Amino acid sequence: MTGLFVNDVEVEAVAPPGREALRLFFRNRAAVFGLILLIFMILMTYLGPSLYDQDPSRIIAIPLEGPGTEDIPAFGTDYLGRDVLAGVVNGGDTTLRVSLVATLIMVLIGVSIGAIAGFYGGRVDTLLMRFTEVFQVMPGLLFALVIVTLFEPAWWKVAIAIGVVLWPSLARLTRAEFLRLRNLEFVKAAQAIGTSDFRIMFRVLLPNAMPPLIVATTLGMGAAILFEAALAFLGLGDPNDVSWGYLIGQNRGSVLGGWWTVTFPGLAIFTTVLSFSLIGDGLQDAFNPKLRGR
Amino acid sequence: MPNETSPAQGSDAEAILSVRDLVVTFGSFTAVNGTSFDLFPGETLAVVGESGSGKSVTALSIMRLVELGTRGKIEQGEILFRRDNGEVVDLVGLSENEMREVRGNDISMIFQEPLTSLNPVYTVGNQVAEAVQLHQGVDKAEGMARALEMFQQVRIPDPEQRLEQFPHEMSGGMRQRVMIAMALSCDPRVLIADEPTTALDVTIQAQILGLMRDLRQTTGAAVMIITHDMGVVAEVADRVVVMNQAEIVEQGDVYDLFENPRERYTQALLAAVPRLGSMTGLDEPAPFDLVEMETVEMKQVDS
Repeated sequence: MTGLFVNDVEVEAVAPPGREALRLFFRNRAAVFGLILLIFMILMTYLGPSLYDQDPSRIIAIPLEGPGTEDIPAFGTDYLGRDVLAGVVNGGDTTLRVSLVATLIMVLIGVSIGAIAGFYGGRVDTLLMRFTEVFQVMPGLLFALVIVTLFEPAWWKVAIAIGVVLWPSLARLTRAEFLRLRNLEFVKAAQAIGTSDFRIMFRVLLPNAMPPLIVATTLGMGAAILFEAALAFLGLGDPNDVSWGYLIGQNRGSVLGGWWTVTFPGLAIFTTVLSFSLIGDGLQDAFNPKLRGR
Repeated sequence: MPNETSPAQGSDAEAILSVRDLVVTFGSFTAVNGTSFDLFPGETLAVVGESGSGKSVTALSIMRLVELGTRGKIEQGEILFRRDNGEVVDLVGLSENEMREVRGNDISMIFQEPLTSLNPVYTVGNQVAEAVQLHQGVDKAEGMARALEMFQQVRIPDPEQRLEQFPHEMSGGMRQRVMIAMALSCDPRVLIADEPTTALDVTIQAQILGLMRDLRQTTGAAVMIITHDMGVVAEVADRVVVMNQAEIVEQGDVYDLFENPRERYTQALLAAVPRLGSMTGLDEPAPFDLVEMETVEMKQVDS
């Protein structure tokens, strides 16, 4: 194991580099469980449709037959007689795609704005932070609803709407990290060898700000999934795309008569969001062992 | 002991760097007030003074880093730098882009804190290679080759292995060597060292100072060393600039200054150095007497 060896000076605690963090992450049982859950959900989403080759929008049996009934698929049928299992297996693709793109948009806008605000400070910072606050004070779901209803629904429009709602918190976090790092000596040293502002922001400061940003992004992915589910539940996704939220929304009338129609898609959402939360927490502990209050 | 083989500063030599009437302010506070001095090729100039006397701000102004982040402002004055081709430019008037070309390439700087001056997320080899790549337009492999060469030059043991290490895997002295390697990697003509040994313990200090003295001879760079340690001044400097409260109090040849300090402040500064053996005969350590500028008497140095 490589420790912090020091012979002539006392050294301040240094954040462990990536490898050490990874080791801590894999020693954390909850985090590894989260990772396994996520891998399972990803496998189900991308291999499932070919292993269980059923059309989720075809009516295959009489409506609202519960699981365990003879000749009925494992998760039963929904209010129109469609295969719930096929829906769950095929719904992950839209959900994950939308939330992944939404998260990317969140990172792109959030990190850029936060980085510029934190690095330059002063008037630039004030201006950008007021702009951020405008987005932050808007009720997120309503704002996304407006964006989606204004345009023809398509999965990428939903993704943009979610990304635009989620970026302010990441921008604030990035700004805070940059403010903390900006005055450290190695930034001055980088400037003293003639590094450009852009390189200082994205090659010097950003890698040092990574740990909290990775954690926030992972948790943001969970938030994006919930957002996507909420929008789809309200029927604002692309009606041609099956997604978990859409399945729940479609079957919300039959919650009492057919619990399986909403429970299984709900469990899929729950599992995926939980996996991201566990991974995010695990990363947080791994990057900052001091915070571990156990 | 001052270095006897140090290149004599010829009277006909043209200054590589001339600071003229420099005024730097932070809001309403004046950190440097009308400073003027010259730096000649191949010499080591020590800028001494207590904390807050404006030494570091002067250095940061020469690099034009005082305006970045810290909200300082160069109110007036000139910083004349003589290029390789003899052309003299005023650094104060350069644009940020032109200045970036100067930094690291013509004028380099090393900082006080070797522990925090290196980026913790990159290997030290990478960081030195980066400096080379920025200015010489070479690829990564050539940058690393140059980094290895520099590591050998600053006498880092096992340079090949050390290139791959992260800053936190190195001791303070080794990190300061890396900083020096990075600063010298593009053959700058001026090296500014802002208290390069303050954070190091005494034995490492001596090594780093010895290294800087040797490197000055091999590279021919002019060195401006900022310090509050008169021992360091005596060790490396050819000439000395004494600063107090944003102004230059006295400047001159290191021998003259140590033997015959003209100004009261310089006398006080020299008298403030503890004397070896002054605690002889005491059972317990005692605090040194405070040196007051008004009442200072020069100590006799035993020959």
